[in-house]
Amino acid sequence: MKSLLLATSALTLALSTAALADEAVTKAAVLDTYADIAEAKYADSLATAQALQVAVNALIEAPSAETLDAAKTAWLASRVPYQQTEVYRFGNAIVDDWEGKVNAWPLDEGLIDYVDASYGGPSDENAFAVLNVIANPSLTLSGETVDATEITPELLESTLHEADGVEANVATGYHAIEFLLWGQDLHGTEHGAGERPWTDYAAGDDCTGGNCDRRAAYLKAATDLLVSDLEWMAAQWAEGGEARATVTADEDAGIQAILTGMGSLSYGEQAGERMRLGLMLNDPEEEHDCFSDNTHNSHFYDGQGIQNVYLGSYTRIDGTEVSGASLSDLVAAQDADLDAEMKAKLDTTMGALGAMKEAADGGFSYDQMLARGSEEGEALIMGGVNGLVDQTKTIERIVAALGVTPIEFEGSDSLDNPDAVFH
Amino acid sequence: MRIAALALALLIPGIAGATDVTPLVDDHILPGYRDLAADSAALAQVAQADCQPDSPDLRAAFGAAFDDWVRVSHLLFGPSETEDRAFALAFWPDPRGSTPKALATLIRDEDPAAQDLADFAEVSIAARGFYALEFLLYDPQLAVPGPYHCALVQVISADIAALTADILQGWEDGYADLMRGAGSNDTYRSTIEAQRQLFTALSTGLEFTAQTRLGRPLGTFDKPRPQRAEARRSARSLRHVILSLEATRDLAAGLSEHDPALDAAFATALDRARSLDDPDFAGAADPIKRFRIEVLQQDVNAIRQILAEDLGPRLGIAAGFNSLDGD
Repeated sequence: MKSLLLATSALTLALSTAALADEAVTKAAVLDTYADIAEAKYADSLATAQALQVAVNALIEAPSAETLDAAKTAWLASRVPYQQTEVYRFGNAIVDDWEGKVNAWPLDEGLIDYVDASYGGPSDENAFAVLNVIANPSLTLSGETVDATEITPELLESTLHEADGVEANVATGYHAIEFLLWGQDLHGTEHGAGERPWTDYAAGDDCTGGNCDRRAAYLKAATDLLVSDLEWMAAQWAEGGEARATVTADEDAGIQAILTGMGSLSYGEQAGERMRLGLMLNDPEEEHDCFSDNTHNSHFYDGQGIQNVYLGSYTRIDGTEVSGASLSDLVAAQDADLDAEMKAKLDTTMGALGAMKEAADGGFSYDQMLARGSEEGEALIMGGVNGLVDQTKTIERIVAALGVTPIEFEGSDSLDNPDAVFH
Repeated sequence: MRIAALALALLIPGIAGATDVTPLVDDHILPGYRDLAADSAALAQVAQADCQPDSPDLRAAFGAAFDDWVRVSHLLFGPSETEDRAFALAFWPDPRGSTPKALATLIRDEDPAAQDLADFAEVSIAARGFYALEFLLYDPQLAVPGPYHCALVQVISADIAALTADILQGWEDGYADLMRGAGSNDTYRSTIEAQRQLFTALSTGLEFTAQTRLGRPLGTFDKPRPQRAEARRSARSLRHVILSLEATRDLAAGLSEHDPALDAAFATALDRARSLDDPDFAGAADPIKRFRIEVLQQDVNAIRQILAEDLGPRLGIAAGFNSLDGD
């Protein structure tokens, strides 16, 4: 009875404190901000992808060291807003169903173009690891002949992407484009990115690597596809779009979606799959942006996306700010200590990811950090991992505190597809 | 205010009330890690005496320690997460074939890291732990006796023994008390948080069995992938499913206070698994045999459904985030 009395008085305290807090913070307002920030982030991703498209067209029109560099610079800029959208994955089915087309990774790049002999051949897992579409106008895929004379967005999207049901067959998106701009990074865990020569796009006898016209066609098709895919997603978050409508339809489910995205990206994806695994395998192939050596930025902006969604404030590429009622406000109204804890942990993570980014920008590249026995690199990467793992614990506390725990169950055939139940 | 939030959670109707997890720590977790540490120490000793890949003693010692690992493989938190120990013990699945590549490279270079345990702890996790050792004992290309092969078998075994001893020590020297004393420390601020940790471990273990241990070799009907089965070279694939189901059944019984419906769901899955007679899931490529593996997968998913829709709400908790959340 004592504990029940304590609980009851605590409940009274909780309710009165909540009532005293800013009454303007409603779940609906928080969800509006969340959708507004998504709209801005995908619009920024689209704008920077369109700038990339202009640069790619200029490279194809007049191949040179300068136009290739300009395209690389545009690609790097396009990653800044896009990585900040990744926190919208995992919680929003519409994003997950689409994401594989634009940011799939890691890839068996031999599917697309020539690779170094050290890359190896077809593997147990992937019979098409060295298909080399650019060199082969006619392909045999799963026993069927495919006419690849014209390299079109349709060919990449519908025939080549995830060919044979293998996820490493990535034919589209940022990382396919990255490979076509940088080429393979053959420096292992030494400093240095891919060194594709601009002459891989040169006309006539100047062409290196063979099939320069087909390589240009591939690069153009993949870039055009990226732009159209981002156009579609930006529209889903605009006023009247499906993503916005879905996440704002049910307030508790919407808040749950925000937290699911924050937690899944922090723990399983970023801390686990992308950072810790690559470190423990000492394998630069496990880098997220392995061709361009931009992995440190991808990790940093992923972390920043988590933070700015929680704080309800995103700074756009033109410097303007999109902000409004935040999840932070909502948590603070119920439990100010828990909100302070979340903010502090997000700060700690960003401090650690910032230190990693600073070291990489200063010349200690991410692949060097992965090298066997690199204690300094391990400390930088594990600083980020530990911050992300620790913040996940607080995200779980917020899920419990807000009482938005999900009871739906995903990933079971028996539920997703009742016909699959035989017994 | 933290107390208030907790109190609110306690007042949600239908909650049985958070129970102490001490019995689960003492009867489920600690015995599992004690067995693992003891059998891993024995494995290291046997490997010192006999490193031949076809040695019955070595294979038996490997099998015993690997069994123990599978029985605790759902408990991926605390001392097994610290210093990435579980990652170093058990790198699988391996979609890029990193384990055979890393081992072949060490052997080709006769890498001196195999001569020293501390140096070996720096090599890629693809070349460490139980799954790497399986290649050295059972893979036709890599189970080739020789002085370097022997050193590698011995150092991997010693590394496994050291890692499992460290995990056990972590539990005995502090972490067990954090769980037993949930509510009076910052790791577990309430018994609900400790329960949520174990509930997450339970859900994740079953998700791994359904989606990875069974799902990877199943592939799709048109493209079955039996070569992706876990530890298929030593024909342990089905055995791992059974061991893991037995271990998670024990944890589920403790968390649910012996819920009969949940236990019956485990019994159904285990009966099906034990009568499957397909040790390495080669049957994934056979339409008739494949069907039986699919039904087993549905049995495991039926358990997961009870956890998510019945036990979780009854305890007032939902599974936390896990390592399978990514893509």
